[in-house]
Amino acid sequence: MPKNFLEIENVTFAASDKNKVNNVSLNIENEGDIICLLGPSGIGKTTILRTIAGLEKIQSGKISLKNKTISSKDVHVEPENRNISLAFQDNSLFPHYNVLQNIQFGAERNKKKKKDLTINEVIKFLHLDHVKDKFPHQISSGEAQRAALARALLSKPDLLLLDEPLSNVDQSFKEEIQVKLKQVLTDLKITTIIVTHDSYEAFYLGSKCGIILDSQLKQFDDPYNVYHFPNSVEVVNFLNRGILVPAKVTGENSLENKDLGTINGNFTKHYPKGSDVQLLLQPEDLEHDDQSNLKLEVVDRKFRGTNFIYTLKTGSNLLIPVFVHSHHMHQHEVDEKFGIKRPINIDHIVCF
Amino acid sequence: MISIYLRKINIWYLSSFLISIAVAIPIVTVFSSFFDSTSNYSDIIKNTFLYDYLLNSFSLLFGVLFLTFIIGVSSAYLVSFYKFTGSNFFKWALILSFAVPAYIYAYSLTAFFENYGTAFTILKNLFGEGDYNSKIPKFDGMIGAIVAISFSLFGYVYVLTRASFHYQSQNLIELGKNLGFNKQKSFFKIILPSARPAIVAGLSLVAMETLSDFGSVSFFGISTLTTGIYNAWISFDDLALANQLSFYLLIFILGLFVLENLSRKKAQYHSPTRGGFKKKALTTLHGYKALLAFSFCFSIFFISFLFPVLQMLYWTIIFPKHLIDLDLISLFSNTIILVFLSSFVLISFAFISNYGNRLSRSKFLEILTTFSISGYAIPGIILAVAFITFISWFDKNIVSFFDIKNIKSIFIGSILGLVIVYFIRFYSLASNGIKSGYLKISYSIDESAYLLGYSKFKTFKNIHIPYLKNSILLIGILISIEVIKELPITLIMRPFNFETFATQAYIYASQDLLEAAAAPSLFLILIASFFILITSRYILKD
Repeated sequence: MPKNFLEIENVTFAASDKNKVNNVSLNIENEGDIICLLGPSGIGKTTILRTIAGLEKIQSGKISLKNKTISSKDVHVEPENRNISLAFQDNSLFPHYNVLQNIQFGAERNKKKKKDLTINEVIKFLHLDHVKDKFPHQISSGEAQRAALARALLSKPDLLLLDEPLSNVDQSFKEEIQVKLKQVLTDLKITTIIVTHDSYEAFYLGSKCGIILDSQLKQFDDPYNVYHFPNSVEVVNFLNRGILVPAKVTGENSLENKDLGTINGNFTKHYPKGSDVQLLLQPEDLEHDDQSNLKLEVVDRKFRGTNFIYTLKTGSNLLIPVFVHSHHMHQHEVDEKFGIKRPINIDHIVCF
Repeated sequence: MISIYLRKINIWYLSSFLISIAVAIPIVTVFSSFFDSTSNYSDIIKNTFLYDYLLNSFSLLFGVLFLTFIIGVSSAYLVSFYKFTGSNFFKWALILSFAVPAYIYAYSLTAFFENYGTAFTILKNLFGEGDYNSKIPKFDGMIGAIVAISFSLFGYVYVLTRASFHYQSQNLIELGKNLGFNKQKSFFKIILPSARPAIVAGLSLVAMETLSDFGSVSFFGISTLTTGIYNAWISFDDLALANQLSFYLLIFILGLFVLENLSRKKAQYHSPTRGGFKKKALTTLHGYKALLAFSFCFSIFFISFLFPVLQMLYWTIIFPKHLIDLDLISLFSNTIILVFLSSFVLISFAFISNYGNRLSRSKFLEILTTFSISGYAIPGIILAVAFITFISWFDKNIVSFFDIKNIKSIFIGSILGLVIVYFIRFYSLASNGIKSGYLKISYSIDESAYLLGYSKFKTFKNIHIPYLKNSILLIGILISIEVIKELPITLIMRPFNFETFATQAYIYASQDLLEAAAAPSLFLILIASFFILITSRYILKD
């Protein structure tokens, strides 16, 4: 007997032969949980949402919501009978109704349910006041996306599915809306699955994140673990936050790289002494130190507001990213030497 | 695999399937009767008249295509690229020619140019008595038919070519200038080739209508395949031969239909993109050039619309007795009943079928629908004959088997039968209209409605119908115009003593009472013009 709020058991999600995610199993344990699915474009994230919403059928496995099977080989509850809302990435507003009328369509659903959120509140927090009387063709894609989000939120679904909900939203509103959205979803206990390719958005909004790569759900874990303890080289490459450098295990808590020397830390997995491994080095793992005798050549410098990311070249032509606080006393130009603090200590050592 | 297909089948799928099958029946009937045995008359026809039928049909076709191309393209070019006195008026006034059916044009032509006709009277009043009859050109026979059909059909070429010229980007014109092209070279090297798909599409429609024309060719006494079909059936009571002749005509028309479809596909290639489209700057004409442009467009407007209207008005006024004798209320109510019934049935079924296709997304259903809408390419006379053939077969083989009284009287010579054949004839007009409306609604709109708890029916009723109401109105009016003008189907299928303006005009004309045909013809043109004026904004836009 399933106990989780949503259970997906061995389901292959397929809109076409090309667009397929095989044999997925994942659960949302509690009502009100928010999970995020991350993956590159065209991998099948939207297909997963569409299938859960009932817009696609499944050939194997089972999807259950609140202990009731909604999709299996023999069962298919029609989308209109699932009480699941999906806010599409593209404009799905009814073109012949204005923004307010579109949003009211959401409010009309589940009229009997207690309303904890009013239309005006949603319009306000999604900054839709100035466009509520306009028609979909008169507003920007970001505004249309927010209107669709408002409609979905107001429908008080058992499960809310958001497909890249803020991808077209202006950067100036984005963070504010993310904060408010999380607050509303949490307060109203709306169980939500968000699909995005913005890892920061996923890490902020989701209590768990699923990484979809190569037609598989590669990792499903809380955001901290996904970032710090990626379970495969593919996840590392997808998150694109660090690089893999060759190293040899030299002891219980140490390994050696030809260019960087000894690196100390706690291994997340046991490797026998003498093993050749690929060590994950993330930008925050190395510290800058002008006094150090380990000097690497600067080949690029990116200013990111709060920090700089220096790309350094080692003797073996490895390119290593290093974060430096942007209030650092001085800057290093391309072709200059850049000191790395030794010995190198890393909190947790992830190797493959 | 079978289970996947079975899953798709629901009430909407079934409805769409049955509608497409029903519309396709006459086409299948024509094909299947090809091998039926015919009477001796068929041998006589094959040995004697068939050659004439084919030769006349081809001569008529090429004459009409040539004339409509010249008139349609040149007038579209003038109003699309130049500004001159009346250019905005001519943009929509030229489509009024749609209101004049070829057979009424033929009556006007004859009435004006015949011996002691209107032209004679005008000359006599201006210059006194004289032997004018020998000097007035005669537009009868093949020439008369070509002129009558061309001036009533050039609107297809005009509308489609004008739309294509209208959406031609200024960038394209500027590119020509940049390459050092003069006006003539730009026209022949850039403007005309890029409008080619639209011109071909317009000419294909003209070709289909020409081959299926019955009223004007029978009036001028020209033997074409269409009149041959009518004679085989009416004069010799040989349905099988009528169907065999229909088969030849159908093959020819299906060829044109394929050509038209192919050219439409290419037309999409020329559609403007958001980024690349720059509105054209019109060249203002002055002096004699402006006068020439005005005279040319006015001549076409006059010849295609004012001339038949004035001729019919003149006769109606000088022979008031015929107007008084006319049972106007009955003619008007019969015409309007047919218009409303046909529009309602066509739009309802086209809507259901399109929604069924949309829901199932079935390739099979799509192909079946495409096949069934080719009914538009089939002349009304063939459809009527095929329908009667099918009902006779059904009555003889199916109904009598169950020992039920014959059903012929329910479907033949009844309003029901008439509306069914109109339905088959104009189904593509309704279906394509609804389909192009549906193409503007993305699937995610439907899906959003389902996810808001709307059932399939509620989505159809609350989302699609309100959204497509303008398209529905436009399609309804286009169907109305066609039904008002339609002649052969109405003539063959109508109940006894049930006349419309079209059949009343035809009956008088076929009895050589052209002056009596004037009043119903005039009313027909006026009603059709009224509908055209309502829709002109949409017609010119698309």
